[in-house]
Amino acid sequence: MSTAAANRAHRTVGPGLAFHRVLNSEWIKFRTLRSTLILLAGTVLVMVGLSALSGWGIGQALRDAAVNPRAGAALSQPDLLTSIPTSGVGLAQLIIGSLGVLTIASEFSTGMIRSTFAAVPTRLPAFVAKAVVLTAVAYVVATASALLSYLVAKPILAQYSQTLSLDQAGVLQGILLSGVYVAAVALMGMALGAITRNSAGGIMSLVGLFFVAPIALQIIPGDVVKTLNKYSPSGAGSRLLQHTTLADQLEPWQGGLVLAAWTVALLAAAAALLKRRDV
Amino acid sequence: MIEAVQLAKTYGDKHAVDGVTFTVKPGVVTGFLGPNGAGKSTTMRMVLGLDRPSGGTVTVNGRAYARHKAPLREVGALLDAKAVHTGRTAYNHLRAMAATHSIPTSRVRQVIEMTGLADVARKRVGGFSLGMGQRLGIAGALLGDPHTVILDEPVNGLDPEGVVWVRNLVKYLAAEGRTVFLSSHLMSEMAQTADHLIVIGRGRILADAPIADIINGNGAARTRIRTERVSDLQRLLARDGVSVEIPERETLVVSGLGPKQIAAVALEHGLLLYELTPLQASLEEAYMELTKDDVEYHSLLTAGAPAEDAAP
Repeated sequence: MSTAAANRAHRTVGPGLAFHRVLNSEWIKFRTLRSTLILLAGTVLVMVGLSALSGWGIGQALRDAAVNPRAGAALSQPDLLTSIPTSGVGLAQLIIGSLGVLTIASEFSTGMIRSTFAAVPTRLPAFVAKAVVLTAVAYVVATASALLSYLVAKPILAQYSQTLSLDQAGVLQGILLSGVYVAAVALMGMALGAITRNSAGGIMSLVGLFFVAPIALQIIPGDVVKTLNKYSPSGAGSRLLQHTTLADQLEPWQGGLVLAAWTVALLAAAAALLKRRDV
Repeated sequence: MIEAVQLAKTYGDKHAVDGVTFTVKPGVVTGFLGPNGAGKSTTMRMVLGLDRPSGGTVTVNGRAYARHKAPLREVGALLDAKAVHTGRTAYNHLRAMAATHSIPTSRVRQVIEMTGLADVARKRVGGFSLGMGQRLGIAGALLGDPHTVILDEPVNGLDPEGVVWVRNLVKYLAAEGRTVFLSSHLMSEMAQTADHLIVIGRGRILADAPIADIINGNGAARTRIRTERVSDLQRLLARDGVSVEIPERETLVVSGLGPKQIAAVALEHGLLLYELTPLQASLEEAYMELTKDDVEYHSLLTAGAPAEDAAP
């Protein structure tokens, strides 16, 4: 039989690859792992819990300050109350960032990536679909958690005669942008997971980028280091959640752009490696 | 139809696959046989585009795997028994794979039934035995009802019942006119399953022929003779191209001469023979013969040398 005849001898029937199908596949994969659900539940718990705690703590401190004015000096920050709904973001970013790492690194460590790429041999649609699912989930979970945090913190503060409301400058903005920030960290986590192809390595590099580097940079004196910190993902990202203009700091919208640039750069590097490497 | 042309894969200065050219035709079971480390898995991964070739090309039904519009419906592959996330259930794994091509859930259930996974389909894959992992991999390969099926070491870890099942399955798939390409390092398995063999050793193709030709072509036909006058017969038969071994008392194994010629010599010199048996070379012997210089990892015990070195 000639090649042409052999190829004519069968006809493939049924739908082929399409992005919405790959997206559906990644969505099925995402919600059928127990670890995903545990990490998401942990995110909600951490964000709401920390907001409740800080609402209680700040309420106490403000009451003490009313009795003893000297203790009140440290409580003069303008966004002390309005940042309470997002006080858990610092920890939540680590959890959702790890989820981002695991989304792809666990496929490498288990060998699943070969099944994924056999089904989607052009590879990038699978990567993009993962990113879409992760972004949507991270945004919804973080924003909903921040909103829930607000609803929990509000009555706690009321007990100390403090007001927290969505009308206050920065409150609604903080709640809505916390999802954006956490989603960006999740995407960076996924990019690091794809680059390192290893769950532990990916999470370690994420922790290094967001926790270790800022602390190390704060210890080292000098203007260059200060600038580095200003433009680091965590330095720039934290500005996104604040509504105030601070001397020597990026404007909130500038912080957002720097954060986006980091995210895009890491994703592009990950995509290029993913496309080229053997699996 | 799988066609590889000068396909090569190099890791550093090691040639894992060294410019192989072969065709896997539809309608027959083609075995891919070679020792561990010979390049079988690497070649199969290159067919699916998981590894990028260092040189050459490989196509499935006329085009590169990644260029097919519905890859899973074109080619089904088991490359790795555990290319599955350990935290997901077998059913959900197959459902996620199926979703990429809108393969219906009814087909997922069908392949689960076919592969005998119904009892464990709702369990997480992490707890699967190697045999169940193989069955899940085969279920994944069949998901898209593909015209080309590639199975890398499918019987590894299967119980005897599973081995027979795989054997029947691949024969059935080939009988339906599909292209079936399966690898193994076990010649005995290939002898019972494959119609055509591609033998690979150290990244090179050593043989590419119907299985019967490989058995007959290698390890030249031999004859076993039993006689009381071994040394006389050995002297009479000695000539160019004839080799005589004496494996045990009153027994010769001769190659290079057929039974008829040996009997004629014996009759002429009045030697009594009490056995004259043509020996059929087994595939195992043919395979050993083919790959003896190409085994990546020789066993030290059979090599012998280190044991002698160790002696004082």
